[in-house]
Amino acid sequence: MRNRGNPPGLAEAGFPFHLELRGNREATVEGCCGVLEYDDDVVRVKTRRQVVRFTGRGLAIRSLTADALVVTGYITGIEFLA
Amino acid sequence: MVLRITRWLLGYVRFSVLGGSPERFYSSCARAGAYLWDIAGRRNGGACVAVRSYRSLRPCAHRAGCRLRVRERRGLPFLLRRTRGHGGLWAGAAAFAAVLYLLSLRVWCVQAVGNVSVPTEQILAGLSSAGLSPGVPKKDVDPELLAQKLMLRFPQIRWMSVNTQGCVAQAVIQEKVAKPEVVDRAGVCNIKAAATGQILSMKVYAGTPLVSKGDAVVEGQLLVSAVVENEAGGSLLTHAQAEILAETSRTVSVAVELNRRRWDPTGRVVVRRNFDLYGARFPLTLRVRPRGNYRLSLEKTDFQFFGNILPAWVYTERWEEVRPVDYTLTKRQAVEEARREADRRTKELLKNGRVVSSRPSEQWEKETLNYTVELICEENIAEQSEIFIK
Repeated sequence: MRNRGNPPGLAEAGFPFHLELRGNREATVEGCCGVLEYDDDVVRVKTRRQVVRFTGRGLAIRSLTADALVVTGYITGIEFLA
Repeated sequence: MVLRITRWLLGYVRFSVLGGSPERFYSSCARAGAYLWDIAGRRNGGACVAVRSYRSLRPCAHRAGCRLRVRERRGLPFLLRRTRGHGGLWAGAAAFAAVLYLLSLRVWCVQAVGNVSVPTEQILAGLSSAGLSPGVPKKDVDPELLAQKLMLRFPQIRWMSVNTQGCVAQAVIQEKVAKPEVVDRAGVCNIKAAATGQILSMKVYAGTPLVSKGDAVVEGQLLVSAVVENEAGGSLLTHAQAEILAETSRTVSVAVELNRRRWDPTGRVVVRRNFDLYGARFPLTLRVRPRGNYRLSLEKTDFQFFGNILPAWVYTERWEEVRPVDYTLTKRQAVEEARREADRRTKELLKNGRVVSSRPSEQWEKETLNYTVELICEENIAEQSEIFIK
C-alpha cells in the first residue's frame, strides 16, 4: 500500500509530521498530506493529525512532493490547528 | 546547481493553472507522485514539472476543476526537438565530433622545457628527426626511445622525459653540470719548455730544477726533472710541477686582401607568406620564388593559446635582391682590419702570459697587405711531459 503523507520513521516515532525552519524565510514540512489554502499571505497545509497554517508576506511553495513541502517567503506566524 | 542542470537535461514545463481550486490540484498532483516546483499562488497560479510528468497532471486538473496551459517549454529534449528537421546541424555536429576525435589521436604541439645550454630549436629538430613532430600519431610516440635518441645526440642532456598530455608532447630536460677537470698527479712527468726564451722566474713545486733564473732555454728543453735524489743517495720519480715564467718572442702574421666583394641590396624585396595548419601549407601570396641573386630570410610566427603553441603558424619568406659590389680597402682600413685580426690571434696564442712589447711591420704587395707583429712576451713555459714507465 502506498504511504500517503507519512515519511518513513515519523509515524513509528509518534510524530505526525516534521517541521523544519530556516529563520523565518523557509519552512520544510515533511509528512504533509496536501495543500488546503495557498495565497501570497497564507499557506495552509494538511498533515496527518493537524493542519499547519503559515502566515506572512510573499509566501510561495517552492517544491511539493507526495510527502513534503517547502514554503518560502517572510513567515510571520505558524499556527497548529486541530 | 546540479538540480537545475538535471532539470534542464530532462526537460521541464512551466504551466498556468486556470480556474477551479489550485490547492486541490497541487495536493492531487503530490498524491499522484508528480514533483512540482516554483509553485505560484492563486493569482498567477502555476508551477513547473518535469516534461514526462506533465501528462499525468491532466486527471488531477480535471478532478480539481482546473485547466492547464503551458507557458514555457525548457530543456534539452525541446532543444533537440527543435533541431529535428535540420539534418545539416546533426551532420555538422557529427563531423565536428569525428574531426575532433581524429585530431585528438595525434600530437600537435611539441615543447621543450628545462634546457639551458642546448637551444630549443635544436632540441625540437632532434625530436623531429627522432620521430616526434606535430602531426605524428600519439600511439607512435615512444618516450623512452625518444629520450635515448636525444641523449645520444646531445651529450649535455643528463635526463630527459617526454610527457604527452592531450595533443601536447612536452620534453622535460635536465642538463649535465660540467664536472671539474681532475688533475692527474699520480703519473711521473718532467717539465719541458713550451717555447724558446729566457727564464725570468721559477717556482718549482716538485722535481729537480735543471735550469735557473736568467738561463736561455729552447723549445723542448728539459727544465725540471722528475728524478729527485734523497739524502740517502737514492732516487725517486715524482710528478714534477713548476711555474716557469720566461721572456719569449713570438711572431703573428696576418694577410689582408685589398680587393673585396660585398653583396648590397638593390631595394627589391619579395615577400611570400604561407599558412601552415595541421601540417598542410596554404599560400597566402601568389608570388613565385624569384630567380637571381637573392638573400633569403625566414620568419615563423606561431599562434599560441593559453601558452600552448597551436599547430598553425605563418611562414614569411623575405627575398631581398642583392648585387655584387667590388671595392678596394684603403690602406687605413686594411691596417685596422689587420690589427684587429692580429690582436685576436695574439689573445688566442697567449693564454697564460702577457705582451711586454710589440713591433708591427707592414709589407704591401699588389693586392695584399702582409701585417706582421713581433711580440716580446712573458709567459709560463712549463709544459708537462709524461714519462711512461713499464
